[in-house]
Amino acid sequence: MEDLILGGEVELEKTQFIVIRIGDEQYGIDIKYVDNIVRMQKITRVPDVQHYFEGVINLRGEVVPVMNLRRKAGLPDVEFTKDTRIIIIKLENNAPIGIVVDAVKEVVTLTSAEIEYTTKGIAHSGQVTFINGIGKCNNSLISLLDLNAVISDKEAM
Amino acid sequence: MDVNQYLEIFLDETNEHIQSLSDQLMILEQEPDNKDTINEIFRSAHSLKGMAGTMGYKRMQNLTHDMENVFTEVRNGNMKVTSNLIDVLFKALDAIEEYEKTIRETSDEGTNDNEPIIKELNRILDEGLGKAPAEEKPEEKKEEEKKEASGDKPWESIALTEENIGAIKEADEKGMNIYGVSVHIQESCVLKAARAFLVFKAIEDIGEIITTSPTSQDIEDEKFEFDFNMYIATAESYDKVEAAVLSVSEIEKCTGEKVDIASLKEGKEEAKEAESKPAEVTAPAVKEQPKAAAAAPASGAATKQTKPAAGKPVVNRTVRVDIEKLDVLMNLVSELIIAKNSIVSASAGEMNNSSSFNDHISYLESVTTNLHESVMKVRMVPIESVVNRFPKMVRDLSKKLNKKMNLYMTGEDTELDRTVVDELSDPLMHLIRNSADHGLESAELRAERGKPEEGSIFLDAYQDGNNVIIEVRDDGNGIDVEKVRNKAIERGTVTPEQAEQLSEKEVIDMLFQPSFSTAKVVTDVSGRGVGLDVVKSKIESLGGDVSVRTKLGEGSAFSVRLPLTLAIIQALMVVVGDEKYAISLGSIDTIESISKSDVKYVEAKEVITLRENVIPIIRLHGVLNLEENDENKDEMIVVVVKKGDQLAGLVVDELIGQQEIVIKSLGKYINCASRIISGATILGDGEVALILDANVLI
Repeated sequence: MEDLILGGEVELEKTQFIVIRIGDEQYGIDIKYVDNIVRMQKITRVPDVQHYFEGVINLRGEVVPVMNLRRKAGLPDVEFTKDTRIIIIKLENNAPIGIVVDAVKEVVTLTSAEIEYTTKGIAHSGQVTFINGIGKCNNSLISLLDLNAVISDKEAM
Repeated sequence: MDVNQYLEIFLDETNEHIQSLSDQLMILEQEPDNKDTINEIFRSAHSLKGMAGTMGYKRMQNLTHDMENVFTEVRNGNMKVTSNLIDVLFKALDAIEEYEKTIRETSDEGTNDNEPIIKELNRILDEGLGKAPAEEKPEEKKEEEKKEASGDKPWESIALTEENIGAIKEADEKGMNIYGVSVHIQESCVLKAARAFLVFKAIEDIGEIITTSPTSQDIEDEKFEFDFNMYIATAESYDKVEAAVLSVSEIEKCTGEKVDIASLKEGKEEAKEAESKPAEVTAPAVKEQPKAAAAAPASGAATKQTKPAAGKPVVNRTVRVDIEKLDVLMNLVSELIIAKNSIVSASAGEMNNSSSFNDHISYLESVTTNLHESVMKVRMVPIESVVNRFPKMVRDLSKKLNKKMNLYMTGEDTELDRTVVDELSDPLMHLIRNSADHGLESAELRAERGKPEEGSIFLDAYQDGNNVIIEVRDDGNGIDVEKVRNKAIERGTVTPEQAEQLSEKEVIDMLFQPSFSTAKVVTDVSGRGVGLDVVKSKIESLGGDVSVRTKLGEGSAFSVRLPLTLAIIQALMVVVGDEKYAISLGSIDTIESISKSDVKYVEAKEVITLRENVIPIIRLHGVLNLEENDENKDEMIVVVVKKGDQLAGLVVDELIGQQEIVIKSLGKYINCASRIISGATILGDGEVALILDANVLI
């Protein structure tokens, strides 16, 4: 990919995304928010919490809450497999939080020309969306996760 | 000068002095003739003045300067302490606190001159001295009187201290000449202090200045007219001295002559005598000032030495440590404990270990425990820093509410974790205000009930096992349960039928609900319905709880229970279902094995009888949403937990044992709806176990 686009003097912004799989869909997570990717481990259940939380894990001496994105997005639960991973997300000043994904596929680099940011209007009215853009890479589409929405209290309806 | 780096020290020390002033003023109000107290106040005011001056806070400096002036006179017995004076001084203290606050927030002192307070102070000063109100400052008078008193040898008016005379004699023995010198600066001069400074410098090049009048501090602050006098010791002749002084520009005149050492003592007495007649009032002030100036030189750093001495002769040697550094240390200790726990659990797996391995483990265990304790202790501070503001607050409340009251405190030296102490101020303040406003009755009602006119508020702090109890008690009206009940009905919180059903305790608990105030009149102090609910939520966020005992007509007591530490606790590990949970040892009363047939039902709730106590049992399986399969068991393990004087039995499947655990927060993402989980901990095998909050379960 060229660094310059036609007629533009601005250098294209490159962003690296970690591509994950949930069900049949591919999602991208901006790599700068990814603190760590760990294999599935023992998750301690916490009673009486939001249903999409799996519980807490021990991440190098820190207690980190882990959420199940499937449940939050209203998808059915699946068995954890050897491909299941927990992605530890750390947004600027927030404490780390883990997200269970079916598998981690690869890391891709997208330029801003390859990303189409969705506006709020695209989502069905009243529905909460966790996607804030679509990335095009190798003829496949990657939904880019809006991490702020993911870790917020809102759920997909 | 860049003073920002000293700002923190300045603020800390200012706080110390404000506190000391406040304490001492309270004492002074009771004992207006207490010499130690007066000296202490003088020292604190003086230190504050010096520090404020160094930092360039002119307004604060002016105010403290006037306070100091008043106390100079009081100290010398020229003035009596009146209640009027105390009031003004308290006002001045509030103003200083205000400066301190503004400085802390903006690093600037703001623009409030507090002119009325300064005027009032000066008025009292003049009145106290029996003078007609005059705008002149005492220093100025001093100058004039001195001139009158000592004619053409103005330096003779300098009151020499013992040290000065010693220095003169010493210099004389060395063969130096002692001169009395008087310097007059041109009246057109703008920077008098700078000129005077140059004069000092010129003289110090050829000799030594023994003493000056006014003091060097006052001269630096430009608190003198156009003359100043000094005694100097030099090997040079007087002509040289005069030449040196006159070499400084804008010096009009320099007079002086050799001083006869033999006549010095005499001269001193003469000077004293001469002054004692026309200026009985100011003479001692002149004498005192060099001393005071010596005690607190211009540099703020030296004010440390003038720490409050009365009552607390020994100041603990302290090092100020950034709390973040302690947190890091604490985290390291936590990790060490986790590491130790994992070694312990690894060794437990292999039964045929050599005994020396176990020895090493128990050694490691004792080291980590000791280390933990000492780090904990570093973080502990006495609650004094919070409660010592209260006497003054109660005094203010007393004036504001027009009720006579007194605060009695015990256990101010009880220690708590720094983070807890910092948060404690507001809730305790609320409780004391509450006692003062709602608790204590009006004077008439007290008289009717045969109580002393002066109401009493008690604040008692003491350690109780793993907890610290702070109790705010008053001998006032107590809580009128019926009134609260009616209020609740009126507000629609409960229906009249429900209200009938409520026990006394449940009614009192309603006081802790948001916006529930029974005060008939909304006062400045309380009664807006924010208070007890804030107290409760704050204390609970610190891991503690609040309880109330009350008797109508006799008083009430609010008891705040706080955990000694927030970070590492001793806990009992239990198994429920296939999950492990920790219960703080501090809340456990006993552990019992109960036969199933002993479980009785009261109001459809399961209870057991234990040593003649009927206690409810709570099946943790249900609370934790777990399946319970205990059909084939006859015995149940019941962990009896206590909260205050309430007991409850928690049914668990298995006991693991006692363990030191490091408390980790679950973070803000997870919302445990029932709040039964107060945190998590990491076990030796790396697994996370949750901590059950027994206080919520009861």
